[in-house]
Parts: sequence; structure tokens; C-alpha cells
Amino acid sequence: MQPYVTLTIDGATVRASRAKSVLDVAIEYGICIPHLCHLPQMSDLAACRLCIVEHVRNGRSEVTTSCTLRVQDDMVIRTNTEKIRKLRRNIAELLVAEAPNSRAIQDIAVRCGVKQVRYPFRNKNCVLCGRCVRVCTEMWSARAIGFVGRGKDRHVDFPFGVRPDFCKQCGSCVQLCPMTITPCDGPMNPGEERLCGKCEAQLLVTERMPDSCVWCQLGSGFSCARYAS
Amino acid sequence: MDRSILEGNPHLVLEGMLIGAWAIGSEQGYIYVRNEYPLAVEHARAAVEHAREFGLLGDRILGSDLCFDVEVARGGGAFVCGESTALMASLEGKVGEPRPKDVHTVEEGLWNKPTTLNNVETWANVPLIIRNGAKWFVGKGTKGSKGTKIFALTGRVKNTGLVEVAMGTPLRTIIFDIGGGPSDGVPIKAVQTGGPSGGCLPVEKFDLPLDFDTLAEAGSMVGSGGMVVMDERTCMVDVAKYFLAFLQDESCGKCVPCRIGIDRMLEIITDITEGRGRPEQLDLLQELAETVRETSLCALGKTAPNPVLSTLHYFRQGYEAHIAQARCPAGVCRALIEYVIDEEQCKGCGSCLRACPRNAISGEKKQPHVIDPNTCERCGICVSECQFGAIVLK
Repeated sequence: MQPYVTLTIDGATVRASRAKSVLDVAIEYGICIPHLCHLPQMSDLAACRLCIVEHVRNGRSEVTTSCTLRVQDDMVIRTNTEKIRKLRRNIAELLVAEAPNSRAIQDIAVRCGVKQVRYPFRNKNCVLCGRCVRVCTEMWSARAIGFVGRGKDRHVDFPFGVRPDFCKQCGSCVQLCPMTITPCDGPMNPGEERLCGKCEAQLLVTERMPDSCVWCQLGSGFSCARYAS
Repeated sequence: MDRSILEGNPHLVLEGMLIGAWAIGSEQGYIYVRNEYPLAVEHARAAVEHAREFGLLGDRILGSDLCFDVEVARGGGAFVCGESTALMASLEGKVGEPRPKDVHTVEEGLWNKPTTLNNVETWANVPLIIRNGAKWFVGKGTKGSKGTKIFALTGRVKNTGLVEVAMGTPLRTIIFDIGGGPSDGVPIKAVQTGGPSGGCLPVEKFDLPLDFDTLAEAGSMVGSGGMVVMDERTCMVDVAKYFLAFLQDESCGKCVPCRIGIDRMLEIITDITEGRGRPEQLDLLQELAETVRETSLCALGKTAPNPVLSTLHYFRQGYEAHIAQARCPAGVCRALIEYVIDEEQCKGCGSCLRACPRNAISGEKKQPHVIDPNTCERCGICVSECQFGAIVLK
């Protein structure tokens, strides 16, 4: 079996090693697909659904997350169609309405083109992206935190709510949490939440220049996979 | 209907599974059954025991090379565990959460091995098809949906219960001929098919043949085979709200569109039923529902907007009445209705007065009573207490 496959992403023919995900390959080739729960070198949860792409197969397109989609020969992927942009904008709107007090999420909202938030803000402090859970489980094999509960009650917690001995307080979970960076203007109080949108101008400039990427400096510290490498 | 098959004829399922095992070369099968169906669990276990005793399960079945055993696994009561990958995670002893299906379960399923998962009714069909031939089975049904299907008919019809009909039978035949039409003489308004994540179809669509493709095209689904008939006393906005609340409760909460999306849809619909709705919210609801349908991780999320989308499509005037006139046409949504006592009908017997839990009714004996709208909770107890039909919706 050939170690490489050839696929088409947004009309560009790219070569990628087998077993890589579409998202990794796209980032490698400088095609920006917004993502939140994806972490390099870790398993993918496919929870945030921001990295959705259209996978065209037999003349029909299917919306799926690129982080869990493995590259295959002759695959046709579209990352930036009207449909995908609209769906992505709606998901980003849901996220920013849920947790406006995060610069990372505010930036994702800007990047996905959210212009207004049509839902009442909620000011939650977790969006259940699971970055903390996976770094604790997969990188440190500590399993000190995990998801507890179902549906609306789902939250991240220690086993039985008590910090166990095997949590060494390494802080990896905090480091990777998108909620730890407050918006540029400081934290928003309940009732004062709004869409920040300050970086919109910056985004417009980079968008006009072909082959450029915001380089994930919007929300620096949030560490886009490309920025970190 | 799956429960009744497992309770009534579990050997049919076992036989189907045996044939399946022989066909694909499997050695281990599982029956995943809800623990809330104790009789089904008991009977499935007994059937497996009997089959083992007779040498129909186990090593070298009836002297052949086929080795196959079945284990009965009990589910912990999660709706999402009906989703294939969540069901397999639950069988493995993990949290019952779906995983992305870019690699299908037929390639990598239970314990990372190729797995075929089929519904109880599907397995129960297999022995009969093998015995009578495929021609016999396809003799009934439509182009895309063959054979017969059992539906659980319930709601406001005279005859409720399980009905088995050929695929392609019009809804009207099932509801009016088999079901016997409306139970209380109130005209039928809609039918909700396919379980909580199915859709509602109006009377105008009752001539549609009942098959997988047609129902999906009409915005509903065959799904579990549930069929709830609703009459004019049902508020469709309230129906959508009821099913959304159920699905919000049963969502695993893993992915954003399902967890937050259903929550926001419920928030909007609650606003509408409580008189805070705004016209632009209907477009937002539609857009949100479509987003949830397109982007959710598993089938629960992908079908969760069905109750909203189908009612919004077929019963939009109901939504509009809630918003524009702050009125619930069916008289269901408590915040939008008001009970009044018809002075001419009221005999002043006082039975409503005694029954009211909020003491909202006042009046002298043998004089017409009055309801204080500010204290009234719109529970409707007085309506059922009144023998003269004097309490009416304003």
C-alpha cells in the first residue's frame, strides 16, 4: 500500500500521508479550517463541530467533521462553501452566546463571520470542548478529570467531585482551556455580555491577501495547531 | 413492538441471529434490551437458556461447524444508547456516548471488530424470509420498502395497540379503518410518527403511502414505528416543546449543536408558548433546526429538529397565532389561555369552587361563580369538575 494519498481540498490537489485527518492535512497546506476541540497529537472528540467540511462523494456532498475524517485517495473536500460557512457561523454563534467571556471563542466567532448574536447570552465558564480531559487522560495518563453527567448536566469534574492524589496539579488542563483568556477589554459581567468583534478588521486584511492566514494570533495563547508547530 | 416480539417470541429473534451468524461467520451475538422492560429481559434470557439446552446455541451447533452464543445485555435507560456506536460503547462497559462514524461499525464496531447491528423486528423477519423465500417477502410493500411493519398506534383513536400492515399502506387506512377514527368525535389534526425524533404530519398528508422514503421526504420517519394520533385539542407548538424537552434530557451532551442547539430551540419555543415570542424568532428557529440537523454528531442530534421542522412546516399558522395574537388556538398553552364561567350555564353548585387548588373561584351558592384570572393557574380541574359545561375557554 502506498504511504501517500492524493486528495483535493478546495480545488487544490494535495499529497498527504495515509492515516492523517483531513483537518491536519489542510492545516499543513495552509488551508484554515476553524476548530476548537481539536488538539494536535491527541484523539479527536468531534464535539465542537466547527471544523465541518463538505465531503463530495458520488456526486453528493456530506457534511462531516474534518478532524475525524481520514484522508483517502481521490477524496474531494470543500472547506469553504456557502453552506459550510453558514453552518459554521451558526455553531460559532451558539458557542459565543454560551460563553462570551473567552477571547478564544470570541475570536472563533469573528473568524466564522458572526455579526450578531440572536440568543440571550448565558456567560457559562465551560463549553465542554474536552481539551482538558484529553490532555489529562492521553498525555499524562492521569485520568484525574473526566466528563460527568449527561445532556444539560454534562460537566468536567474530578472523580466524585474530589481532587484525587493522582492529579499532580500540573496545570496542563488550565493551559489548554479556551476559557482562561479573557476578552481584550477584560471580563464581561453578567448582563453586559456582547460580541467583541475587535479583530474583524485584522481578519479582513489577511483575507484580502491570498495565501495568508491569520496565523492564529487572533486569540494568541489559544494555540492553533499551526501556530504551535 | 420490539418489546412485544422479545416478550412474545424471542426464539424468532434468536433464529434470525443464528442465520445471520452463519452468513457472516460470527461467533458471538448480543441482545441489547432496556432494563425497563423486565419481562423482555426475562424472556430473552429464558429463550437463550432453552436454545443452549437443545444445542441450538453454543459450540458446534447440531453437529455443524457453526459456533455461536448469545448474551443478553441490559441497557441502563438511555435513549441515546439506541444509536449504534453508543449502544456498542454501552455493551463494552463504557459511557453510552456515540462516536464519529467516519469508520462504520460494520468495519470496526464492538471491541473494534466488524459488527452487524439490526433491530429486533429485522432479525425476526429473517427466519420467515429464509423459509418462505425472498419473493414471498417482497410480495408486499413498495419499491423501496418491502414486507410488513408493525406500528404502535396510540393517541386519540378508538382502537389503539400494535398493528401490522404492509409497507405502503396509506396513513388514512391505519388511522381511520384500523384505528377506527377519532375517539371522542373531535376531528383528527395530525399524526406523529417515528418516536420522539419523528415528525408530525397533518391530515392533508394522510393519503401518503407509509414507507421509509415517503415519510422521510414528508419530514417525518418510520423510525421506531410509533404512531401518535392527535386531534384538534392538541397544540402543535406544545407537542414540539414536549418532544424537544425529552430529547434535551436524553441528549448525551457531547457535541455542540445537539447540546446547545436543542436547548436554544427549547428556549425559543418556550418563549412562544408563554407569549414572549417575536415573529423573527420563527426564522431563527428554522435556521437553528437546520443547523442542528446538518451538523450533529449522531442520529439523535440529526433527527432531533424533526418535531420542530415538521410542525413549523405544516402548522406554521399555529406558531403565528401564538406570536401575533398571543393566543393558543387549541387552548393548551397555559400562559395564553383564560378560563371563564358562563353565567347562564352556571348553577352555582360550588363543585368547581371546592376543587380549585388555588382558591381562584368565588361566588355565593346558587349564584353564578367567577374565576379570578390573576390567581387562576389554568390547571383545568374546574373544567372537568363542572357537570354543566359552564367553564369555557375565553
